[in-house]
Amino acid sequence: MKMKVEFKLNGANVSVFAEPNRRLIDLLREEFELTGTKEGCGVGECGACTVLMNGRAVNSCLVLAVQAAGNEITTIEGIANGDLINPLQKNFLEFGAVQCGFCTPGMVLSASALLDKNPDPTEDEIKEAVAGNLCRCTGYKQIIEAVKETARLSRKN
Amino acid sequence: MIPSLNVIFPKNLNEALSLLSDNSDSSKIIAGGTDIIPGLNQELNRFKEIKNLIDVNQIPELKGIIRSKEKISIGAAETFSDILQNDTVRELFPLLWKAASGVGSVQIRNRATIAGNFVNNAPCADSVPALLIYNATLEIESLSSKKEISLNEFLSAPYRTKLNRDEIVTKINIPFADKNFTGEFFKLGRRRAVAISRITLALLVDWRDSVINEIRIASGAVTPIGARFFELEKYCSGKKADDQFKKDLSRKLAEQIIKVTGLRWSSEYKLPVVQQVCYQMLKNIESQHEYGI
Repeated sequence: MKMKVEFKLNGANVSVFAEPNRRLIDLLREEFELTGTKEGCGVGECGACTVLMNGRAVNSCLVLAVQAAGNEITTIEGIANGDLINPLQKNFLEFGAVQCGFCTPGMVLSASALLDKNPDPTEDEIKEAVAGNLCRCTGYKQIIEAVKETARLSRKN
Repeated sequence: MIPSLNVIFPKNLNEALSLLSDNSDSSKIIAGGTDIIPGLNQELNRFKEIKNLIDVNQIPELKGIIRSKEKISIGAAETFSDILQNDTVRELFPLLWKAASGVGSVQIRNRATIAGNFVNNAPCADSVPALLIYNATLEIESLSSKKEISLNEFLSAPYRTKLNRDEIVTKINIPFADKNFTGEFFKLGRRRAVAISRITLALLVDWRDSVINEIRIASGAVTPIGARFFELEKYCSGKKADDQFKKDLSRKLAEQIIKVTGLRWSSEYKLPVVQQVCYQMLKNIESQHEYGI
């Protein structure tokens, strides 16, 4: 039986009926058409489905849609300001941190969760934060540089 | 795909226990869900009876980390990320802190709970050897009973525990040691992050004038479930802690592990690694002890 799920999605209050056996990733992609959230492995190893739940990175393939109730969910679509990409996204582009792009939304959200609570991370802290996001194009170096630069610029401002 | 089921969100412990009180196979607790959701999605046999998931994330009685005079009490539904932020855990139970820091990824640690780790009781559960070595005990409640048992007694076989269907683990209590312990936790996976453990070892040693006063040894992944080595611990007490002792203990630990698991295809690799790692851990502990770290 479908259950009513009310939560905050990318800043807006939403209300939807969801089957209890539906995963959050499926709800986001199919119901809300937020297809920036990708499914890679479906078992919580690749991080392509990463979203923020109350500001913390989680794998949306490991959360049931009904568990979103009462929580605040942010997807990659929600971190840009309309058509204006955020500084992290801008630096991913500038540093060539995007190749095939499949890991990018998850990678950006993991990095964003890190910078929100730690504006001056060490390289090891950046690596730790994105360790749950696999990039099979293996462009990790550019990704780490992009995160570092974003931190540096935000401190300067 | 996840089979059709109900999810129920009890608001307090009593409500949750009432839901479990029919003692049926079809109700199962979900906390972080990091084992159960992919397990259901892959339609694993051990989850196939489930018709009702009881979500315990909103139950206040299962939350919080409280330090008292003689112990720390960790709410069963505390996530690994929450535990990593706790100063008492970091300072007084560094092996648990280290084990928690190696669980999955940030995303997993933000959801996965400490009780979920040992209630699921996978052989590779990283927090288990660390909790065993600190003599952790569990508070367990049903509608009609309340008890406290040691984690060691609670764990029965891979993916099996002594938890009855109508019970919930509410708290993990870890006593402060009355010894001057120095310790090490070691995890070997096939890669450095998001790795399922192949070998975990935890050691606590109280040295007194280069004699072993007390030693505690626990393993995970390399044994069918996380386990303490009580006989070996007893054998060590009072021994002079020289280099020969470290070699002896490392060899004996590997022998004990073979005794538990029998010879396996992986033994040829794992046993020399266990020996070498154990020896190295003892050396590290000794130097920490000497320099008073």
